[in-house]
Amino acid sequence: MAERSAVIGIGQTKYARRRGDLSIDGLVREAALRALEDAQLTFKDIDAIVIGKAPDALEGVMMPELSLADALGAVGKPIHRVHTAGSVGASTAISAATMVESGIFDTVLTVGYEKQSDGNATWALGGGRSGSQGAGGSFAPWIRKYIEKSAAPEHIGWKVAVKDRQNALKNPYAHLHLKDISIEKVKESPVLWDPLHFLESCPSSDGAAAMVLTNEKGVARAPQPPAWVVAHAKRTEFTQFPGRDTVKPAAGVECAKALYKKAGITNPIRQIDCAEIYVPFSWYEPMWLEGHLITEEGSGWKLTESGATEIGGDFPVNMSGGVLSSNPIGASGMIRCLEAANQVRGTAGDYQVDGARVALGHAYGGAANYFAMWIVSSEKEPKFS
Amino acid sequence: MSELPPITYTLEYPYTRTTGPVVGAFLTALRDGRILGSRCGDRVICPPLEFDPDTAEPVAQDLVEVGPGGTVKSWTWIAEPTRKHPFQQPFAFALIVLDGADTALSHAVKARGIDAMSTGMRVRAQWREERASAVTDVYFVPEADAVDTYVPPGEGEVELTEHLISLDFKEAIHPFRERFARGLIAGKFIGQKSPVSGKVYIPSKGYDPLARVAMTEADDVELPPVGIVAGYTVITPVQYYGQKETEPYIRASILLDGADQPLGQQDIKNIPHDEFRSGMRLRAVFRPESERKIVEMDNRWGSTGGVIDHWEPTGEPDAPPEKYLEHLF
Amino acid sequence: MSTEEIAIVAVAQTPSYRHYNDTEPSLLMTLVNQILADTKLDRHDIDFTIAGSCDYLSGLPFAFVSNVDGFGAWPPVYESHVEMDGAWALFEAWVRLSMGDIDLALVAGSGKSSPGSPREIFPLQTDPYYTAPLGFDPVSAAGLQAQALIDAGKATERDFAEVVSRSRRSALANPNAQVAKDVSVDELLKEPYFASPLRKHDLPPISDGASALLIARGDKARELTDKPVWIRGIDHRMESHHLGLRDLTVSDSTRISAEKLGLKSGPVDVAELCVRYSPEEIILVEALGLSGETNINPSGGPLCGHPVMASGLIRIIEVAERIRSGEAQRGVGHAASGGALQQNLLCLMEGGA
Repeated sequence: MAERSAVIGIGQTKYARRRGDLSIDGLVREAALRALEDAQLTFKDIDAIVIGKAPDALEGVMMPELSLADALGAVGKPIHRVHTAGSVGASTAISAATMVESGIFDTVLTVGYEKQSDGNATWALGGGRSGSQGAGGSFAPWIRKYIEKSAAPEHIGWKVAVKDRQNALKNPYAHLHLKDISIEKVKESPVLWDPLHFLESCPSSDGAAAMVLTNEKGVARAPQPPAWVVAHAKRTEFTQFPGRDTVKPAAGVECAKALYKKAGITNPIRQIDCAEIYVPFSWYEPMWLEGHLITEEGSGWKLTESGATEIGGDFPVNMSGGVLSSNPIGASGMIRCLEAANQVRGTAGDYQVDGARVALGHAYGGAANYFAMWIVSSEKEPKFS
Repeated sequence: MSELPPITYTLEYPYTRTTGPVVGAFLTALRDGRILGSRCGDRVICPPLEFDPDTAEPVAQDLVEVGPGGTVKSWTWIAEPTRKHPFQQPFAFALIVLDGADTALSHAVKARGIDAMSTGMRVRAQWREERASAVTDVYFVPEADAVDTYVPPGEGEVELTEHLISLDFKEAIHPFRERFARGLIAGKFIGQKSPVSGKVYIPSKGYDPLARVAMTEADDVELPPVGIVAGYTVITPVQYYGQKETEPYIRASILLDGADQPLGQQDIKNIPHDEFRSGMRLRAVFRPESERKIVEMDNRWGSTGGVIDHWEPTGEPDAPPEKYLEHLF
Repeated sequence: MSTEEIAIVAVAQTPSYRHYNDTEPSLLMTLVNQILADTKLDRHDIDFTIAGSCDYLSGLPFAFVSNVDGFGAWPPVYESHVEMDGAWALFEAWVRLSMGDIDLALVAGSGKSSPGSPREIFPLQTDPYYTAPLGFDPVSAAGLQAQALIDAGKATERDFAEVVSRSRRSALANPNAQVAKDVSVDELLKEPYFASPLRKHDLPPISDGASALLIARGDKARELTDKPVWIRGIDHRMESHHLGLRDLTVSDSTRISAEKLGLKSGPVDVAELCVRYSPEEIILVEALGLSGETNINPSGGPLCGHPVMASGLIRIIEVAERIRSGEAQRGVGHAASGGALQQNLLCLMEGGA
């Protein structure tokens, strides 16, 4: 029967281009042990484990739940592995929440990770062949289409790139700490996939993120405030088909609608205090503001331009620095969910949004055809007016 | 017409794994002719782990030398080794409890034959002359065959271990893809029209996902070699293992007249990047018939580069966005 | 344990093909269309869809993405994917329905092993530092496990051959089997070793194929079929990855799961076990505490057809079909992942209105 689940422990590694000090075992353990410590639990308190990561070829380790079982304390327990492309981190968090909500498991550990420096992400994204267009190459035409349709000025993308990197300076775990980031620097950085500049693109990172989720009983014993999982939703559509809206995919719209309905949210921009949205390329901030019904179509960039998405604005987005500042692919979506929890628990440190009560964690993947989102709150049953 | 040869491809990448402290210490010692285990409670675990295997809790690292002799706990004689095995002649994999260790290591034993193997037998580590800071630096032999040699220590600590993963795949070309490929060689674009939704796909996957219906040869349609640029990217190639591109290039999606799905990943050679735009009308220029060959096309990836030489502007006015925007995917 | 009543209401599987010369999505599409036809449902009546598959089998990162073509995703669907056998997709679907807010979940598993060389690919499942560079493959792990059984006096090579002989004979009645033959134990024992003490016939064939099923909650299940197969529980557990840390002659994870599910609280009429290597049957039968009353692998099991990623889910389907036909009343399906039975899943099923 349906129980409400809550995040009671979070843990992250320091994200970096290469975590040369760690094995894959060590990488996932750094996050998992921090999450357990935050919840003041040990592996023996965990009933089941869910891991998520993007393609096995990123590290050349097939079905890694097998070789990581011992390192994650999974021996004798259930462990399963989710893979839904770039959205996987959020899908994995949702899978863990579901396990608690089902009433079948009390306390679940979930870990998303990628050790990208062991291999090469562009190679893997190109199917292991020459001529990979990378994720940027796939998304660039749709970004151009958004710019044409919305008549957004070109500096919007640069502005997002700067904002997220400035936020990252407040996050000790962030991969990129670009102290001298500026609009000029973004604009002058090379164009990788027209119209996307190098500094409008996410880095390739090593890293892991972990959370401990539990039910009401577990929350009562938790040492830190919980982040209640109020709602979650996932939607998928085909990667390509005639009539597909690639700028505002229907799966993203329907996912948001289902999410808000479950949470009781009727006016997302007012009722959600802040959001961690999967923005691997700067333009996806305005695109998802529109694509997930936070603003009207054609107005997402205006919200960005107004400064509302900065910390201290009306609708802060990617307070942690976002995917633009840290991108271990398989963890990136989980980090969004985790950072949303961080905000409503009031534990986000220098990038805390004052009084955050309700936060959105979001990820998308594939050809922007996979969506996974959750709403967390400091209150078990938040009321919206 | 002759059969198209099966598709073969290799998925290959030289992974460089950072080892962390424990695997690193193990591989460093191995390179230098020693084998390490980790003391954990009253047991010595080999190969060493970064944690207590009973609880997964962290343990203070206490690495101790074990072996080089050991006892076989179980074994299997590999009559037909794969290319990935340490020996290309029949050999054994064995679980070996090294002297001083309490748990077994999985490794290879080079023996004269299956009759030389038995549970409980003594084996001894032998080091390869060329060591690579990998677990393959060592192998085992029956104790009687062992020749101890001096293993000169290497320099510094091992922090990286390399693993070239190279996998070969081979499959027949799928029925529709074969007709698409044969069409290209004949200078034609063959697509499929869904009998249910009426949508025209090229290259088709042999089904219409919208209607969830399989399509057959009866659904094949020929499309003209003329279409609209539905979308494109100018790509500045990132260098990585296996990357052949070095200069910025265009990858375009071209919506052939009459199609509902663009031909993706088209290489545009002769049009300057600053003149290239969505909506442009282009015509495919095929290579001379004798030079057409199906290269780098498989059942999923559709490179037409061995058949289409380039795309040239038709000179017609650009198509308005409503003609192609909903087909940009 | 779930307090919701959840039943399997429709099942479908493709044959095990040595080479299936078309796409993996097309395999799935056939099954999904069959399930929809059998239940007279529309694609969008299904609340949740989840599939299991493996990129490495087809040698293409993100291969699973195109499988969505096969099970339909327009208009958008609520969907997920595990990089595991479809049996684990069933686990997640069963957990999801246990929340009680949705009624129907479609589950699939698919894989084409024929393009690659499984003995070269599967070492990548093992520890990337200590064993993968040795090309240490699951066949070798099974050989070590088999020898350990013999050394412990728990089985003989003849016992392994008996598993194979019986399985292949059973497969004669299975239209989806890839390998089916009436072959005697003595004939089998004349074959040379492949990974001693295993012979080639102790290994599964290389197969392509897919499987799918539909599960429904309580009243919805009764509405869709007069023969629901109730899932009384699913439990899966992991063992240590390091063979040296395990007793290879037992399957503790399977034993614990069987206890959790209360397997022995009633008769077990049929058991379909994911026996990829013949010695695994001996270990699993002991762990499950099965007696002569249980019909074991009447389909022939994976030794007679093993489309990896679909194979575990097929075991559950084979049991469900026997319960639906009335041949059995209560049974268990087993799925396995990893070398030497590292990970095991049990699904306990029962007939009744």
